[in-house]
Amino acid sequence: MRNPLTVLKRRLSEHREVRTDGGTTSAGSILDRDSVRSAPFWLPPFLLIGLFIYGAIAWNIVLSLTDFQGLGTPDYSALDFENYVVAFFGGTPSWSELTVSPIWNSAWNTVVLMVSFSVVCLALGLVLAILVDQEIRFENTFRTIYLLPMSLSFVVTAKFWLYMYNVETGLVNLFLGAVGVGPIEIVQNPDLKLAAVAFALIWQFSGYAMIVYLAGLRAIPTSHFEAARVDGASTVRMYWRVIIPQLRTATVSALVVLTVFSLKAFDFLFSMYGGYQPGPSADILATRMVREAYSNGNWAYGSAIAVILFIMALAIVTPYIYSQYKRGEL
Amino acid sequence: MSNKPTKLSRRTVLTTTGVAATTGLAGCSGGSDDSDGSGDGGDGGANELELLHAWSSGDGNAAIAALIEGFQEEHPDVEFAEEPVDGAARSNLDQVVLNKLQANDPPSTFQLWPGKNLAKFDGAYEDIEDDVWTDDLKENYLAGPQEQAQYNGSYVSVPLNIHRINNLFYNTAVLDEAGVDPTSLSSASDVVSACETIAAETDAVPFAHQTSGTWSTVQLWETILLGQAGIDGYESFINGNGDAEQVQTALESVVELSEYYPSDSSSITFTEANTMVMDGDAAFIHQGDWAAGAYSNEDGFNYGEDWGQVTYPGTSGSYLLNMDSFPYMANNPSPEATRQFLSYCGTAEGQVLFNAEKGSIPPRSDADVSALNQFQQDQYEDFNAADNQPPSVEHGLAVSPAVKTNISDAFSSFLENYDAAATADALTGAFN
Repeated sequence: MRNPLTVLKRRLSEHREVRTDGGTTSAGSILDRDSVRSAPFWLPPFLLIGLFIYGAIAWNIVLSLTDFQGLGTPDYSALDFENYVVAFFGGTPSWSELTVSPIWNSAWNTVVLMVSFSVVCLALGLVLAILVDQEIRFENTFRTIYLLPMSLSFVVTAKFWLYMYNVETGLVNLFLGAVGVGPIEIVQNPDLKLAAVAFALIWQFSGYAMIVYLAGLRAIPTSHFEAARVDGASTVRMYWRVIIPQLRTATVSALVVLTVFSLKAFDFLFSMYGGYQPGPSADILATRMVREAYSNGNWAYGSAIAVILFIMALAIVTPYIYSQYKRGEL
Repeated sequence: MSNKPTKLSRRTVLTTTGVAATTGLAGCSGGSDDSDGSGDGGDGGANELELLHAWSSGDGNAAIAALIEGFQEEHPDVEFAEEPVDGAARSNLDQVVLNKLQANDPPSTFQLWPGKNLAKFDGAYEDIEDDVWTDDLKENYLAGPQEQAQYNGSYVSVPLNIHRINNLFYNTAVLDEAGVDPTSLSSASDVVSACETIAAETDAVPFAHQTSGTWSTVQLWETILLGQAGIDGYESFINGNGDAEQVQTALESVVELSEYYPSDSSSITFTEANTMVMDGDAAFIHQGDWAAGAYSNEDGFNYGEDWGQVTYPGTSGSYLLNMDSFPYMANNPSPEATRQFLSYCGTAEGQVLFNAEKGSIPPRSDADVSALNQFQQDQYEDFNAADNQPPSVEHGLAVSPAVKTNISDAFSSFLENYDAAATADALTGAFN
């Protein structure tokens, strides 16, 4: 039995041949193009993503230009950049009776958290991957152990680390006590807060970086390792000059995911500090944004902070994506 | 089969999809059609009352169930679309309600802290003075709670229960061991010296407290401010004219007390701090009277014998309020049933049913509280005898939501550095 689709396809192609030869432009010609004919497959997801992701981003940008505050509907007739001026310089905006402080503090914390978390996570992940790649025994067990923390939700890890950092009974302080330091107040210590959050996140996600790098390492042909050895390269030199440069794609994909996770640190801070108030030394843009939007009902100002956060994420990811694109690796 | 029908059918598919999508979009925006009618429009027969609350477990859940049961005995025709919204201390509930209001789909009523906190849903309420706030309610609610039920001068909500903030709970055995008589304390600094004695005489932590979140410390500071600055000083502060010196003095008292917190206060929650008192590992805890709920559930830990409560030293004569209330939402999905329900919440009978489970006290001054436990009866007596019932800052009754956020911000910083002077500036500046 012939597949009806095959029959249909042949008829369509026959029809197109004739038409091309004859040079006619019938109304059906556009409908016959590949892009149009495949539309039922790509169009629905394209529209859904366009509407719910890019549409929502665009709407959020427009919203950040309004004065939308409290209940009711935003007024799109008077758009201005007031919210961004307030975000960068502070002051009393037209939609509020109260002074609004600028976002520099939380923006700086966000950058510090994002950079320190991503860089340390990648470095640690790479080291772990190289170690696990040495054809050791129980490799699968180690891999699972390192990856396991990632399967926990931020709420669990936040509560867990709150306990770990406990001055009296926490393991961190017990360990410090054993080496003659401390006990040290960590959770509400302005000098250590952000580092403590970053440390907990690194603990949770370095396993993920390891898995991505491990996949990258496995994709490199054994001959590269052998060739480097034959040329007399030391182990360090071999990895540094031959292997790590081939892990660019892995680095980019891990970095993009880790950056996103560091933006999501909101969940972690929310659970650790029981609300939107982690304190000035651990306040990130995400907590500030939720405070403005949901505690104060300053929707437009919250949107403006969201846009700034979005641009920061783009600023970090775009150069890598672009360089990959240039090298033709994307 | 020729080519043509195929194309046609594809076009038909597209057309159908387009029509469906348009219909769908129209359906989404359809909700706004009845937005201008202010709610009383004949929702004939819509007797299903949509009630949102955060009492999804424990005593709160038992309390709301008792209230609904009592109401349905009188009004068996009213159905409830009751929806507990999970989330600690109802912050999540507010977001759910905000989202519903933005979508023009208000609930009938929901659990809401009244007072200045009502500003959060500005314009979403309807005046119920004529239908619900009868003379009976006005006569029997004390001035404090009655004022909190109003927004911009009109009655929009019905307070259901009252929690008190200015309590000092203690473990009797620990105080006996230290030789401290809680009733002899009469000022915030007396509490500090009592803590000093306890630290010297016993192994217990003098003052159980959590500092991972800001709320407990805001409560403590506002209580101390009320005690030191008096009701006038306190009211000046919540009206935005606070005296920076008084604010700072109160903060300094908190700093002194912080010496006697558990050393791991930043890693524990309120529940753990409260358990320290129950286990005899701590002497005092300052909290709202929900702390007592845990004591009542603990076998062998009895009011009057094993634990006790005094009005926070310095604040006698004041009953620092935190309340839950049910507002009447404009554009109400079930106007008649909601009014009946709110009227019932305003009765002494309904309030006793609710509060017997919840551990708080009825806001009406004429309730028969014999069904409540001894601690609640004592609190109720204090409440009726109180000179004033000021609203709480931390629980959003006293200041608008944006000011409240500024105050919490100031305290999140205070918990890092305990800098009383800088925090006092931030607190008095919270209103500008």
